[in-house]
Amino acid sequence: MSTLVLRGARVIDPANGVDAVRDLAIRDGRIVDLAPGEHPDRVLDANACVVMAGGIDLHSHVGGGKVNLARLLLPEDHRAGLEPLPLPLNPLEHASLGCCTPGTLATGYRYAEMGYTAAFEPAMVASNARHAHFEMGDLPILDHGAYVMLGNEETVLEMIARGEDFQRIRDVIGWTIHSTKAMGVKVVNPGGISAFKFNQRALDVDAEHAHWRVTPRDVVRTLARAVSELGLAHPLHIHSSNLGVAGNIASTLATIDALDGHRGHLTHVQFHAYGTEGPKKFSSAAQQLADAVNANANVSIDVGQIIFGQTVTASGDTMRQHANAHLANPRKWIGADIECDAGCGVVPFRYREESYVNALQWAIGLELFLAVKDPWRIVLTTDHPNGGPFTSYPHLIRLLMDKGFRNEQLAKLHPDIASGSPLAAMTRELDLNEIAILTRAGPARLLGLRDRGHLGVGAAADIAVYRDQADREAMFAKPVWVFKDGRLVAENGRIVAVPTGGVHYSEPEFDRGIEKTLADAARKRGVLDPARAAISRDELCACANHGALLPHECKLSVGAA
Amino acid sequence: MSVLPPPTSPLPAWTCPFCALLCDDVSLQFDARGTPALVGGQCPRASAALARFDAAPAPSSSVDGQPVPLDQAIESAAGLLRRARLPLIGGLGGDVAGARAWMRLAEASGAICDAAHSAGQTAALRVLQDRGGYFTSLAEIRTHADLIVVVGSAPGERHPRLWQRIAPNELLEPRDIDIVLLGVAAADDERARIAQALPSATVAAHATADLHDEIAVLSALVAQRQVESASEAQRALAERLRGARYAVLLWEPGALPQPAELAIELLQRTISTLNLKTRAAGFSLGGSDGAASAQQVHAWQTGLPLRTRHGPLGLEHDPWRNGTDALLADGAIDALVWIASHGSEPAPPADWAGALVLIGHPSFAPLAQGRAAPSVFIPVATPGIDHGGHQFRAEFSVLMPLTAAREQHLPSVAEVVSLITPKVAA
Repeated sequence: MSTLVLRGARVIDPANGVDAVRDLAIRDGRIVDLAPGEHPDRVLDANACVVMAGGIDLHSHVGGGKVNLARLLLPEDHRAGLEPLPLPLNPLEHASLGCCTPGTLATGYRYAEMGYTAAFEPAMVASNARHAHFEMGDLPILDHGAYVMLGNEETVLEMIARGEDFQRIRDVIGWTIHSTKAMGVKVVNPGGISAFKFNQRALDVDAEHAHWRVTPRDVVRTLARAVSELGLAHPLHIHSSNLGVAGNIASTLATIDALDGHRGHLTHVQFHAYGTEGPKKFSSAAQQLADAVNANANVSIDVGQIIFGQTVTASGDTMRQHANAHLANPRKWIGADIECDAGCGVVPFRYREESYVNALQWAIGLELFLAVKDPWRIVLTTDHPNGGPFTSYPHLIRLLMDKGFRNEQLAKLHPDIASGSPLAAMTRELDLNEIAILTRAGPARLLGLRDRGHLGVGAAADIAVYRDQADREAMFAKPVWVFKDGRLVAENGRIVAVPTGGVHYSEPEFDRGIEKTLADAARKRGVLDPARAAISRDELCACANHGALLPHECKLSVGAA
Repeated sequence: MSVLPPPTSPLPAWTCPFCALLCDDVSLQFDARGTPALVGGQCPRASAALARFDAAPAPSSSVDGQPVPLDQAIESAAGLLRRARLPLIGGLGGDVAGARAWMRLAEASGAICDAAHSAGQTAALRVLQDRGGYFTSLAEIRTHADLIVVVGSAPGERHPRLWQRIAPNELLEPRDIDIVLLGVAAADDERARIAQALPSATVAAHATADLHDEIAVLSALVAQRQVESASEAQRALAERLRGARYAVLLWEPGALPQPAELAIELLQRTISTLNLKTRAAGFSLGGSDGAASAQQVHAWQTGLPLRTRHGPLGLEHDPWRNGTDALLADGAIDALVWIASHGSEPAPPADWAGALVLIGHPSFAPLAQGRAAPSVFIPVATPGIDHGGHQFRAEFSVLMPLTAAREQHLPSVAEVVSLITPKVAA
């Protein structure tokens, strides 16, 4: 096989402690060491460039029911006034468009052009798992995987309520991961989506579900322990209670407490870091949350930064989306209760600079990025599309790396925020090493992707080569070259090859005897029975458009923390 | 054409592909001659569809009525599409894999895509695009609903096992369920179906002179606005809705009186009002014969739903102009690709006299014969009978796996279309 060398670039590979100008050799889709005296078949001059592993988005709504509902809700996202958006000029790209709700095909192209090579769908509904895998299979170039939503299905809530043996609950969770071919487990508003079906409108961490009499604390504790014991690489992915509610910092801190020392990944924490101070009784609690993250090594977060402009929020959290639906812009929204298992709420949103609340949200996200000390436990996300489309990442990176630019933006916002936000006084500027951690090395570690997110020998050759420019937004928008498994897929922001990505999923151990319980539950409520619910490897392969299957072995360890 | 004798015991984990309920609580069994029958439940729609499947050899492909080998039919279909300025890929009776394939054909040929059942689905889509809505699913209805208001049509006529699918069984805590048939013409037939599946439910029927008026009044009463002309029955129903723990409004978008959009919008407004205080949700029963699957795949790949033209200016979505009926009435298209792989779907529109590529169940073969215009017929296998696959259930949130029930030799829609596309693009 031919060998390619990227010559003379600054290689930034924080997972291996590398930040140096050196050559990087690629063969058979992997990073290799050249043998002494070996001549590569091809050399690319990467002088004045920065090389990083391909970006990994560990929280981006890229596939599945609610994403497609958002597309159906917003045909205007695919027009410019009365005219259709122009078709791609690149003959390698299929017709697929959209800004905050792009088609899957466009999603793959736009991510790859930015140097990203993997994206993970964080909210797969178990009864909709095949749909999610089909959509992700139609994301060109990117590797993908999904976290299955648990903690709101009647079956598990009922088991917790009845005080059933933990091991049996763990088996249900293991079985669900296995059957849906999930990479991880997510809980959204623990117990709250189910509670909304029983007409409950709020659920604090220690409040009881109106019907099952379990608390979000019970749910988080049970799931976090199960995820630990099942040996999943990714900790329980948590969308905490009370999203968007003033004062929700209390429930966010209580959720951290509910982990009982188990690992937990709190997602889109910007939406969960609000205090009640000030004349509007709505204030930043970013420092409080950052202090908690700094103090609890078992906790990681992603931010869910908001970006001003039009977007759409797509969430499993029916309780909170219903409460926020009156803010929809344009004024329309979709909600659904799904199969005694989940829910979804899709609310279009326009974040405005002149809005006090939106400006505060923007500042909170950035405060969090700057106040959390360990870059390995904080991930760069906009919770695409909820805080803003993923295409705004280069802009966000510049906000983090360039204090002057950040303060310029801050000055344009609602005057109370422009003058009163602690952000103005924050002088930290992230460096390229930290950006590499926040966007690839860290998420790879949090997902247990051993051969991704770094550039050590043996790693997959998922590589982004950026021209080192003072304008970091321009730099990160259009890498000079992007390689996926050693293949050049984008050059100067243009797609040049469209391979099919692979699908990551976890393979936990569980007792198959649990299928009898699940079959009974299926007969009771009419949900998919275990025989049909389980996605086989062959079926996953078909859904994933015959991309590579990337299973992750999990070791059961009872009592693991 | 069967190559192996099909199993004569009920198939495990079979899913019925003949309507959007995609029933997974029935099974299929073949007799010794290879004729399939539904077991474990009754369904006139499935039984009628299954009558088209027997062990008889499939017809060959044809071009202009003459039998030809498959590769020749593929060449002819591709040639016909290369010459077309604006083709319609219609019918769309198939599975998700088939939809992935015809998406590429649509792009290669600059076609418009629209499903056979799309009038109702498009009405539902337009309301979604205008105001959204709140929806529920079969298992939620079975588990939570204490009031089900059926609006405008008898859903059991087209979806005979609906009530079996949502009837609570003995494993759930017993609860009272009221069912109201509002503006349902054949209410007695529907009462009989309900009585079979849900004998304990209380069923009331309200005839209406004008369904739009009726639900407009209901919507206003639910919002506690004064409606002088409201009848006692209307007031009682509004009160019942306001008092329900989990009310479900159920309608078939394709069977509502025109304008269906207005009716759906009023129903969703009612649901929205109810959800301020109690719980309510809608169930839109449609999307059979692959229509829901086609809608989903078109939306996720391109970002836009069906009735979108893959045109030179871009993807032009127009829910009015790009519908099958409007395109035919306007004389806008010059070729029709019709996909119907279950045999039970609508046939190509009888008034279409132009070029036709019919990719269909063997029973459609005669429809491509004796036509004056260029005509290609390619018989295909049926998802859920001849090969595995996936289809979306009516509520869009569940994608059901389909399994093969027998072995046979015909290619799938996905295979046939994937042979045509590169020859069109070439």
